[in-house]
Amino acid sequence: MNSSDTGLVLEIQRMSTEDGPGLRSTLFLKGCSLRCRWCHNPESISPEPQLRWSESRCLGCGECLAACPRRALSLGVGIRIDRGACDGCGNCERTCPGGALEIWGRRRTAGAVVGELLRDRSYFGTEGGVTVSGGEACLQADFARNVLERLKREGVGTALDTCGMCTESQLLLAAEHADLVLYDIKDSDPVRHRTNTGGDLDIVLRNLRLLSIPRGDRARKRIWVRTPVIPALTDSPSMIEGIARFLSDSAGDAVERWELCAFNNLCREKYRQLGGEWELAESPLMRAEDLDRLVDAAVRTGWPPDRIRWTGMAASGAAARDVSISSPTRGTKTQI
Amino acid sequence: MKSTDSSVSIKQPSGLSPRIRWLRDYYFRGVSRAWSNQQISFTTGTPWDVQYNECNYHIVPETYAFFQTFTSSYRQIARPVRLASDFWNLSLPERRAWFNKEVMTEYLPQEILPGDLIAGGRFNVHTSLCLTESENRARSAELYGRKGLRRGAIEFHNHGFGNAGPTAGHLIPDYSRVLSEGFEGIRSDLEEYHTALSPAERDGPPGAQLRAMIVACGMPIDLARRYRDEVLRLSAGEGDPGRAAELRRMAANLERVPSKGARDFWEALQSLWLAHMLVMSDENYPGPGVSFGRLDQLLLPYWETSVREGMDREFAKEILKCFWIHANTAYDSMIRVGNQGITAGFGQLFNLSGLGPEGRDSTNDLTFLILEVIDEMSPILEPKPNIRLHRGSPEALLDKIVDMISTSQGAPFLLNFDERSIAGMMRQARMSDAGDRIHPGNVHEYASVGCLENTMVGNDRSGTVDCNLNLLKAVELTLGNGFPLVPHTDTITGITERPRRQGPSTGDPRGFRDFGRFWAAYAEQTRALVRRIVDLYERGEALRARFHPTPYLSTLVRGCAANGRDVTQGGAELGYVTVEGVTFATTVDSLLAVKYLVYDNSFCTIEELIRALKDNWKGHEILQARARNKAPKYGRDDPEADALARSVMDLWAEETWKYRTECTGRRFRPGMLSWNYWIGDGFILPASPDGRPKDQFLSNAICPSNGADIRGPTANSNSVGTVLGGRGDGGDWKDYFNSLPNGASHTISFNPSLIRRPENRAKFKSFLRGYAENGGTALQVNVLDPEVLRDAQRNPSEYRHLLVRVTGYNAYFTSIGRELQDEVIARIAHEQL
Repeated sequence: MNSSDTGLVLEIQRMSTEDGPGLRSTLFLKGCSLRCRWCHNPESISPEPQLRWSESRCLGCGECLAACPRRALSLGVGIRIDRGACDGCGNCERTCPGGALEIWGRRRTAGAVVGELLRDRSYFGTEGGVTVSGGEACLQADFARNVLERLKREGVGTALDTCGMCTESQLLLAAEHADLVLYDIKDSDPVRHRTNTGGDLDIVLRNLRLLSIPRGDRARKRIWVRTPVIPALTDSPSMIEGIARFLSDSAGDAVERWELCAFNNLCREKYRQLGGEWELAESPLMRAEDLDRLVDAAVRTGWPPDRIRWTGMAASGAAARDVSISSPTRGTKTQI
Repeated sequence: MKSTDSSVSIKQPSGLSPRIRWLRDYYFRGVSRAWSNQQISFTTGTPWDVQYNECNYHIVPETYAFFQTFTSSYRQIARPVRLASDFWNLSLPERRAWFNKEVMTEYLPQEILPGDLIAGGRFNVHTSLCLTESENRARSAELYGRKGLRRGAIEFHNHGFGNAGPTAGHLIPDYSRVLSEGFEGIRSDLEEYHTALSPAERDGPPGAQLRAMIVACGMPIDLARRYRDEVLRLSAGEGDPGRAAELRRMAANLERVPSKGARDFWEALQSLWLAHMLVMSDENYPGPGVSFGRLDQLLLPYWETSVREGMDREFAKEILKCFWIHANTAYDSMIRVGNQGITAGFGQLFNLSGLGPEGRDSTNDLTFLILEVIDEMSPILEPKPNIRLHRGSPEALLDKIVDMISTSQGAPFLLNFDERSIAGMMRQARMSDAGDRIHPGNVHEYASVGCLENTMVGNDRSGTVDCNLNLLKAVELTLGNGFPLVPHTDTITGITERPRRQGPSTGDPRGFRDFGRFWAAYAEQTRALVRRIVDLYERGEALRARFHPTPYLSTLVRGCAANGRDVTQGGAELGYVTVEGVTFATTVDSLLAVKYLVYDNSFCTIEELIRALKDNWKGHEILQARARNKAPKYGRDDPEADALARSVMDLWAEETWKYRTECTGRRFRPGMLSWNYWIGDGFILPASPDGRPKDQFLSNAICPSNGADIRGPTANSNSVGTVLGGRGDGGDWKDYFNSLPNGASHTISFNPSLIRRPENRAKFKSFLRGYAENGGTALQVNVLDPEVLRDAQRNPSEYRHLLVRVTGYNAYFTSIGRELQDEVIARIAHEQL
């Protein structure tokens, strides 16, 4: 089977309210081209299946030790995984009675994936549909295209969620059958962008331009831009102004909506389950008034106020733990 | 608004006039009120007289221990009624009709609360069964003693089968006829029927029944006159001219209705309330699912007249709100026992909206008016709204109900889904040869009673909650070859009985070579269970038919007059007895676990599984974890698991249709509503193969097991629709199938953020529209509050399905670690402020 027929799938999230308009099912593919320091879905970065161990589900029974043909598991305070030895065969997952050991990432066929996605088509209505997300979906562009094309043929609304860090041809392939593209722009400064995400901002911006300008028989895409706002890393008004200027100059009316996605640290358990710690595990929430100021900064550059909002969790006022939601929250498993 | 005792905010009523605010506040003063509608009992004065009819409560296990106490207490406090000289010469139905009328008109006071716009206060009574000594002796012989029905019902329950007994209510009387013709019209019809009887019939039961019904028609007529006199008396002494005018108008209403047909909205509501409250008096039971039907259709012509005559919209709501208060006084019945009585589930239901003739939507102006009343009065328990949705429900209606859900802690109404429900009614018509009474031309007129039990209106007496069968018992008896896994210990005496055979011998399961063999044994046990509950029910039904007539209610059920039979004797044009399947998901998951653990993967032998269940999983924790976490489960839209679930459904549902009551000719039919049995019976039934230990809740109605639906609400709903039969060619109605005509209770919990954020309300509407395509017959939307989340922290295995969606990062609540859980709770608590 070729790469358009099978993909490495992390998960299908049904009844997603956060990955585009309407009620959606989101297909998360595994493998990413960026290494964002704030990544909320660390399990989606590696392009290989990965074993996770969940402490709260572990009975401590040790059944998994004998099940592992490569002796990659040992009993310490919990189950220790020798990640060099583990090849993701899944024997331990099948054996584990508590469901503590699970493989993140599974090869699935486009047909099977589309079949599952279509089970919820009655709920999509006219607005909703399916979003293909990641990791970085464009790294499996053939597969993403195949899935979206099949869905499109079924009359389902489609969206691609991308960070733009891929080749032009990957992007155009993956986006070909997408009605809407959710597009992350994480900074306006190339150096800081490379430091924080490992990616080349020029490529990201060039790719956005590619989608927003019609060429030949290719129409421009509807685009929703998303920008993660990370305390002390990407929270300056000047950064927002920079992105706003780029969007105004280069993407124009294609960008229907721009979301500033406020940071939270609720994914830190996933870093632990992958056997690591996260440098931002103790980072605080953004403050609502600071997020308001960022929105104001964009508007000052001339960005239309009805096309920008901030989303997610924020601390309100002086009470640091007293958090509130303002406007719709940020998406689910996408990279921010 | 912040409540004082916790960080959880409670939805508050709004937009209430001083009048309604006072009435509402007064109502909630509870026991400290000077006025109440507490149950009062009345006796014929004979030493054998009985007022409290325990048979109504054979389906309420928590009252079993009090049967004798209640019977004696009501007897002790019963007030004697002076009997007419020929009383004991009358037939039993005539005695009951006369006695109830006498009590309601001559013995109960007629009172009007300050500002009230509807007359009709006290209706909670226990009236004498009016039995002669020999009748009473015959009844007692059936009911009491070692072989008596009481013992039979209690044993049935205590051994984990479920419960059964003919209870009151759970129907929609023919209120539209009261509103259009009044009781004088009904009475003159009855007189014609009586005149048309042959002399033999007239001297026999049909004559007695019709005369009793004629007498009963006099009860609302006379009572209205009494109330009119009281209202006139009040108006004479009223200093406020506005109020005096209201009272005079009320007197005029009572002059007219319910004797004659109503002419406008106020008269219609006055007529409806008096007719309705007297049903509860007649059955001696407050509000047991005695339901109004489609209120926005029933009242529409009267509303339109009043609008033409210039009725103020707000005043119309004011009258409705008074009606609301009256309905709530049902709970006064045992008010001194505490907490507004012993239960919070009386269920005077009404429907709004839904399909009309020729597939048109029937939403109207009154639909919205009543929704406003619900919104402004909430939270309040009665009457219970149930909104009927269908594929063509208008956006404006969905907008309104999603708005209401989003501002409440839980939805202030149930949602019924027409296509699936109607498919069930059509299947019922086919299975019971009732195509002349339920057909494509009238099936849209169906309505719900109690909670979500679907019936036809005005001619349908379907004991919708009378039989409650624990399907899981069949798994236990399969494993035990007809014997219980754990012998029963009486909780009061502490005596453990010798194991007795409870089901057929279906073979030693150790000899079952494959799951097919296990399934065959399970099927045989299930068939025996259905037979068993049918047999128990027959005894209660026969007792009621013989000794507990309700002639007044019979005047309001089409068929009783023509048949000359009481509604308790099968007089209605349509009559069914629902067997409610309880523990569905626990049963399915247990079968899936047997298949997974023993036959598919050989994680254990059947003998080891039986040992683990007998040990209540103690010492078998690894096996239990596999059963819980790794065996497939119903509720995940998993085609394989749901296929087995469908087989379980088809098996037991088909079985119920094979039976009808011998004494009254009512067909049995399937449904799924577990009321609270899934909680209590979890302490009776032993550990089950799905990993559940004894003393843990069973599954609720058609819902997946607690914590099993880890694929979210859409997958959960798809599974529910699938097991009801799904969609396809040759559907029961259009392409919809529905195995459960009675309806299936389905509850889903949502995080408040999903519907509280304005942008997401449209998304929630999409979900509801999808549910109409893929889901079940009825949905209860629960919005999670922080208390639930705290419980989830304490009992994570019960809440594995709980999605935390507000965070900008989607996670299962139980998987995110303690401190972050705290944070989420704090945030949700905050969000609700």
